Amino acid sequence: MSEPSWGLWGRCEETKEYLNQVVGRSTGPDPVEQGSIRRWLEPKEFACDIHTDADVARAAGYDDLVAPASMVFTYGIAAYRKPGDAPAAIDDEPTQIQIPVVFDVPAPCDKSFATIIEVGFFEPLYPADVVTCTSKLVDIKRKELKVGKGAFLRQEDTYTKQTGEVVAVSYLDIFRFVAPRSGGDA
Amino acid sequence: MSHLEHLDAAAIKSGDELPAVSIPITLQRLVMEAGANRDLSLIHHDASVANATGAPAAFANTYFLMGMFERLIRQWAGPVARIRKIGPLRMLVFNSVGDTVAFKGNVLSVETAPGRVSVDIWAESGRGKTVTCKALVQLRG
Repeated sequence: MSEPSWGLWGRCEETKEYLNQVVGRSTGPDPVEQGSIRRWLEPKEFACDIHTDADVARAAGYDDLVAPASMVFTYGIAAYRKPGDAPAAIDDEPTQIQIPVVFDVPAPCDKSFATIIEVGFFEPLYPADVVTCTSKLVDIKRKELKVGKGAFLRQEDTYTKQTGEVVAVSYLDIFRFVAPRSGGDA
Repeated sequence: MSHLEHLDAAAIKSGDELPAVSIPITLQRLVMEAGANRDLSLIHHDASVANATGAPAAFANTYFLMGMFERLIRQWAGPVARIRKIGPLRMLVFNSVGDTVAFKGNVLSVETAPGRVSVDIWAESGRGKTVTCKALVQLRG
């Protein structure tokens, strides 16, 4: 198995060209439905009937059973594989979650981690809704931390449903850096 | 939570505690979580990759933490409440396999008329406070 990638390498000037640009757009392959909600609730030991019983949800003021608000992230993730893709090989690079400011925006960094996330919720998600996530790079701040020299990249993700209604808007700060021992030039 | 109990903003005051939720982090839970929330990054289920980032073991992903904060809020505020905002969520320390993580919170402020409540929420384990966060909740839809 190959080592997992920690981001797309490039020069600082290239990173800046992406500022305030759409850097990614993904549509979840599966509509909102009860089975995926149940599987999401399960590892959190999260029991609340508005997420599993349409009658209770309606009594609470919703149109139908409603997905947990923070499940919007999951419904906006594109498929990892699709029919027709080349068969996987044992030494393929491992598949990771798609974070455009890490994997689609070049930067002089070979490591990364998320530091802060905040999300505002608007329209609820109901069964049959399909979510699209549109990502923009909205800020770059160069910084040196204990782990190395690099920059904070802020990604704005706008989650919309098929009607165009906004479900959520989130801001994710990713620190991309070069660890001192790897000898790169941030 | 199977009924429509809800909090009354007039009965809430700054400093009120949210009932804590505690959960052990096992590798099986992280694998279930990754499959369910679709964040399949190796740091969340492969110890050797997690170790390369300085973590002692595979660790919980952001979506799990967000979801657990939603559970904390939902169990306190009831099914009628609307969660308007979660964050900024700051990850301070890894929530790794072998840790038992408690999610806690208290009320920061209450706007009685619109029924909006701001809460300070956090996670803690034997490693101390691992995540800090805030949230905004509308008590009546």
